[in-house]
Amino acid sequence: MLVVIGSSVLVFVIMYVMPGDPVLQMLSGNSTTPEAIAGLRRELGLDKPFYHQFLDYFYQLLQGNFGQSRVNKDLVLPKILEHVPATLMLTLVSALFSIVIGIVLGVLSAIHRNGIIDYAARFIGLFGISMPAFWTGILLLLVFSIQLGWFPTMGSEGWTTLVLPGLALGLVGAGFIVRLVRNTMLEVLGEPFILTLRAKGLSERSVMYGHALRNSLIPALTMAGVMVGELLSGTVVIETVFARQGIGRILADAIMAKDMPVVQGVVFFTAMIYVGVNLLVDVSYTFVDPRIRRLQ
Amino acid sequence: MNTSIPSSSWMKGAALSVALTLWLAGCSAGKEATKENKASSSSSPSVVENVAAAKTVQGGELTYALASSPDTLDPVASGYAVSHRVLRTIFDSLVFQQEDGSYGPWLATEWTVSDNGQSYTFKLRQDVTFHDGAPFDAEAVKANFDHLSETFGLGQARPLLGPFESAEVVGKYTIKVNLSRKFEPFLSGLSSAFLGISSPKALQEHGDQYGKHPVGTGPFKFVKWTENSEITLERYPEYNSAPPAAENKGASHLDKLTFKIVPEEATRIGSVQSGQILAAETIPPQNIAAFKSDSKFKVDQALTNGTPFSLYLNTHNEPWNDVKARQAIQLAIDPEVIVSTLYLGTYSRAWAALTPGILGYNETLENKIKPDLSRAGELLDELGWKKGTDGIRVKDGQKLTLNYLEASPNREKRKDIAVIVQQQLKELGVEVELNLTTDASELLKQRSFDIAGISQVKADPDILTNLFRSDRLHAQGGNNYSGLNDPEIDKLLDEGAIESDPERRKIIYRQIQQVLSDNAIVIPIYVFPYTVAQSSKVQGLKFDLLGYPLFYDVSVGQ
Repeated sequence: MLVVIGSSVLVFVIMYVMPGDPVLQMLSGNSTTPEAIAGLRRELGLDKPFYHQFLDYFYQLLQGNFGQSRVNKDLVLPKILEHVPATLMLTLVSALFSIVIGIVLGVLSAIHRNGIIDYAARFIGLFGISMPAFWTGILLLLVFSIQLGWFPTMGSEGWTTLVLPGLALGLVGAGFIVRLVRNTMLEVLGEPFILTLRAKGLSERSVMYGHALRNSLIPALTMAGVMVGELLSGTVVIETVFARQGIGRILADAIMAKDMPVVQGVVFFTAMIYVGVNLLVDVSYTFVDPRIRRLQ
Repeated sequence: MNTSIPSSSWMKGAALSVALTLWLAGCSAGKEATKENKASSSSSPSVVENVAAAKTVQGGELTYALASSPDTLDPVASGYAVSHRVLRTIFDSLVFQQEDGSYGPWLATEWTVSDNGQSYTFKLRQDVTFHDGAPFDAEAVKANFDHLSETFGLGQARPLLGPFESAEVVGKYTIKVNLSRKFEPFLSGLSSAFLGISSPKALQEHGDQYGKHPVGTGPFKFVKWTENSEITLERYPEYNSAPPAAENKGASHLDKLTFKIVPEEATRIGSVQSGQILAAETIPPQNIAAFKSDSKFKVDQALTNGTPFSLYLNTHNEPWNDVKARQAIQLAIDPEVIVSTLYLGTYSRAWAALTPGILGYNETLENKIKPDLSRAGELLDELGWKKGTDGIRVKDGQKLTLNYLEASPNREKRKDIAVIVQQQLKELGVEVELNLTTDASELLKQRSFDIAGISQVKADPDILTNLFRSDRLHAQGGNNYSGLNDPEIDKLLDEGAIESDPERRKIIYRQIQQVLSDNAIVIPIYVFPYTVAQSSKVQGLKFDLLGYPLFYDVSVGQ
């Protein structure tokens, strides 16, 4: 809860002190008289002192009223709700890519430690974390969509439109996971119980996947919670690059237009999603880690 | 693992039905084509027309990628140029501005102007219907003016009407519009899609949600707007009110027109290259050459008329209040280098305060002023600015600095222009301080700059009033960056705004441009072309004076 409230307050303050007068921006390009400017300011309630605007906003928020977009008077909450599914789909697919790529590469890394595969896998991980998602996105676009024509360049319909954007973001998340899985696996593999399992005669495959991997998953799960935050923020840029619908896109456009109500609405919502996901992660520990189950 | 292989008979059956479907589809398409040909050959006797009609393919969909999203599809409430591209396809206007600047009849068949220039009486077409069936008449036009007066002035429409006062219905198909004073650019404003005529029934029905349910008389009917994604339009079969510039006077050749919203340049261009979209706007110079050299594509470039992107020296600041100092700057900046370096030959160099396609453009200014660094140096020497040891000129212990403000640095490589100018002026011994910021409103209001650039889009030379009249400083709502306060110019601008003889108007505006150039108030740099990359399947795309696309004659071949 604190996270949600805190981030909303922070965004409100930032948008308020940010240079740039939204009223002037909205009227720019037309002959603007001082009367027109004052009138619009009054209409939007921007002539009230800071604390007044602040309290107004949160009072309305508590009532479920997220306000109206300054650009076209759309109600913010319904607009967000309409676009959230598309972003969630993208985040889900990206998370899936991250997890699959991350785990596979992480395991390969651990098994073939210090071999070529290890270096290659770690390089891919580094690449994912370091390269900006929009750059990776455009690169994928150029190669797989324009040159090879395997996937569409844009759009939000159909599973084909999810592949490239999902991959672009997925590589970012995979970067986090590869390292983690590799290190945890190596750690676990050094534990005495592994020796016992091998002595028992268990196949190498069983040792690796059945036992070592399972135990490495817990820290990976925690990482997943943090990763969702990264993925959500990545959608802002990726949705614009691939011309997809979603709240990331809405946020990007709203920031450019200094459409405060929309920006705050999206941030508030995103904060809620993030908190929600981390809560789920916490809850899922009880199922994944038997030790915690026993404690409870 | 066991995988079941489909039995061969199943596969044969599937293949057969697919083949059958394809054959039937091909058959019916063929039948339609021959039907079209027969129809056109029976109505137009000349052989040449037959061939031409047969060549224009009927049907199909045009996908057109926009670089940003329209704000609303209510014409009088919209403030974005990108909206105009869509609005023009849904709405017709009362008059049409032709390429030579004159006005042709559109929804208004003829009009008369009162002697004092303050009243326009329009006779309207009697055979036009809105997409929703409502009849087009004087009451409908009046309802539009009422709606305009009610919407808060965020749109481009209200300023276009100038000193508009009222509109009265005089007869079923006659309407009179009253202005508070004479205003020559009035008809130009009326021809804009921002003053397109909406259905009064729809205005009534949708109220403040009308911007999402536009209804006009244009060749395309609004179907759906998926926010941030696309705007779908379909052909209006009863269309009969095409403007004079359209060759196709009836319904569109296209079945469907879809505007896709694709802000990322790489995606927009890539979509055309891969054939996923048939046309895309705003192509950067480096890609224009690639498209032009590929026979599968073509690129159209249309001049956006008004004032070219130019630099304006702040005449309120020392030493730029002295004409010699300004002339020195004028002679030291080489726009040719700027344009050829940054735009690879795809944008044209500008020479005057107005763009070439507009009434009154002074073409004698072309190639007149050539860069002359030594003469520029002499002028500054005369004023007492001598080059110091570091190459920068000094006078009375003060360095010669020029504060360069660029308020739209990310647009059309304007920040790169600033850098090149900085280098060019360094040769002259002027130290340029660059101020590149998108948040320049305060700076412009306070006039805290020595030189700043701007371009404006308008089909009427009266745009110069907004840039040069003494009472149009930024703080007053205008764009008089140079802070010019010249009673002679003010007088000429006022005359131009009310002169009804186009020939006399030309003389007035040519003179204004000459004075501005002689006094180095304006340094024109480039004229911005609106660019559209298209698949070569697309035919018939045209543009109006402002560079906005016209879809009346568009068809999509195979």
